[in-house]
Amino acid sequence: MSSTEMLLKRLPNDIGGLPADRIVQTDHPLLPWEKRCHALADVLDFHKIINAEEKRRGVAALGSELMGKLTYYERWAAAFANILFEKGILHPEELALKMTEVERRRQMELAL
Amino acid sequence: MNPHDHPHDHPHDHAPIESPADAAPSYYEVMETSIRELLVEKQLISPAEIRHQLEVLDSRTPALGAKIVARAWVDPEFRSRLLADGRLACEEFGITFYDDTKLIVLENTAKVHNLIVCTLCSCYPRPVLGLPPDWYKAKPYRARAVKEPRAVLKEFGTEIPEDVEIRVSDSTSMMRYLVLPRRPEGTENFTEEQLAALVTRDAMIGVITVNPVN
Amino acid sequence: MASTSTLGAHIVKAMGEEPAFKVGHAVRISVRYPVGHYRVPTYVRGKCATITAILYSGVNNEDEGFGKNVGAKAHYYRLAIPQKDLWPEYAGGATDVLEIEVFETWLERTHPL
Repeated sequence: MSSTEMLLKRLPNDIGGLPADRIVQTDHPLLPWEKRCHALADVLDFHKIINAEEKRRGVAALGSELMGKLTYYERWAAAFANILFEKGILHPEELALKMTEVERRRQMELAL
Repeated sequence: MNPHDHPHDHPHDHAPIESPADAAPSYYEVMETSIRELLVEKQLISPAEIRHQLEVLDSRTPALGAKIVARAWVDPEFRSRLLADGRLACEEFGITFYDDTKLIVLENTAKVHNLIVCTLCSCYPRPVLGLPPDWYKAKPYRARAVKEPRAVLKEFGTEIPEDVEIRVSDSTSMMRYLVLPRRPEGTENFTEEQLAALVTRDAMIGVITVNPVN
Repeated sequence: MASTSTLGAHIVKAMGEEPAFKVGHAVRISVRYPVGHYRVPTYVRGKCATITAILYSGVNNEDEGFGKNVGAKAHYYRLAIPQKDLWPEYAGGATDVLEIEVFETWLERTHPL
């Protein structure tokens, strides 16, 4: 079985039984945006705009590099964007423009 | 988040629900904010729903699970109901399962020790325990809890004798799990409140036991 | 719950209403490789298990992952697999088990009829 076959056959989150390090018993209080992100996921699930299983699929679909390098809620945000584009609910351009607007607004608030 | 100690039958402006003004938002925070604002503009979700869900999340903590465990320790009939249908028993306490999941409560005994994990993601009984710790969601625990539970337990300082059966539950669908730890020795005269104070989140995940007094 | 015998009537259940398996049945978890989304981890595929509970009837969660929120339902089962059957070098109690929930379409009967 080639390694490229396994990349598709085994999802990057399917890690039960794989070799792994010692458990580092870290925890951190959620940043406000992380908690908002969690609340957003719950609300999206209530409406079935993005259900919980779609979110899980979307996170795994990011692939192993993104899954490994992004934090837990960063993965959710990226997955939401992709799924909303797939469903035609958001367009990449409108999200990009909104992100520029939000960033600019926040920079202005910081400058005050 | 915003304190909501007043009734909401009248519309008025709330403070924005953004991060403290002294922190530059990360790229992904900007993404989260932007997605949320666009969905609000399109009237697919409302800011009130987000704010309300933040309150829901704040209200769900391990203290709820601890109360359930303490009640099960003192009330054998509640214990039976809890083991028969975890969600229904929690609902007696007003603990609603807003995410539609169901609950199986796993009883630790002299012969059986239970441990819960979600190898595929981070399924966790959030309605009754709140949000899971980082280590529960990270690779080492998820990869190793199913394959070497005894070594994992040792890393948490928990030694389970060889003749005690370890059952690891891997959450993969709509079931969620809560471990009902064994009541420690020396607590016969404890009040329910005192008992609940002994029960930690980690004991309800199953990585530790509830310590005996003294 | 009324049975057909006490009512004296022949009641036919709809397809999918009756669980395919009962508690105590021996099953084997299928081996297949769905692309894009699955909820049966690789480490349990091909393993023999025992049904310990019939959980609930619902939509296939692998379809839910692609947006199917309602539709035909089947049962989810809680299964027990001896740890020694999962891991060749398993270090632990001989009766230690792994319990997992699996959707009906992943299970094959191995118990005699």
